[in-house]
Amino acid sequence: MHIHRLEKLWIIIGTAMLVVFLVAIGIGAYAMGNHPPGHTSSIKLDPEKVYETPPFDNPGLEKIGENEYNAYIVAYIYGYNPGNIEIPVGATVHFYVTSADVVHGFNIPGTIVNMMAIPGEVNEMTYTFDEPAEYLLLCNEYCGIGHEYMATTITVKG
Amino acid sequence: MDARRDQMESKRRENGNNQQEHGQDEPLKGTFASVLMLGAFIAVSWIGVFLLFLNRS
Repeated sequence: MHIHRLEKLWIIIGTAMLVVFLVAIGIGAYAMGNHPPGHTSSIKLDPEKVYETPPFDNPGLEKIGENEYNAYIVAYIYGYNPGNIEIPVGATVHFYVTSADVVHGFNIPGTIVNMMAIPGEVNEMTYTFDEPAEYLLLCNEYCGIGHEYMATTITVKG
Repeated sequence: MDARRDQMESKRRENGNNQQEHGQDEPLKGTFASVLMLGAFIAVSWIGVFLLFLNRS
């Protein structure tokens, strides 16, 4: 089969680009642990019994290391339980997020923390807060009439 | 480059299908340029988004 020289060239360039993209994503996923939020969580829960199911019967921060926390957070119309979280600077926080009612968003603008809070599912995301600041945590999935008021802050103290 | 093209041309003439081959050959330069531009756009966008992700993580 005759393939034009330029055609060969752009096939090679295109294939090389794909390989570079896939290798970068592969290294990120397997060596750096960059997974999209929403991989199957080990926590299973009945969406109608969120507040009776551990760990969401006691939502909040749980210290698990030197400066490392688990944050169990329940999104509801129209807020987050708990709200106004405070953590020290440099803290690594593993967020475990679910919803008590409808689908909500869980987004901290300026960071890569951005996932959905889904009834019956627990989404996980890990983030290290290196800058002391007040981070906004807001809902970015339209959830009802009070959606625009659904926000709280995460205070990172220096 | 030109020497090679001339060589290819004469070869085609020998084969007697100059008209047909020539019709396929030349117009691909523009296509190649467009493909490269599209490829550059995709690469730049991908790298931009990836750097943004690394910066924020």
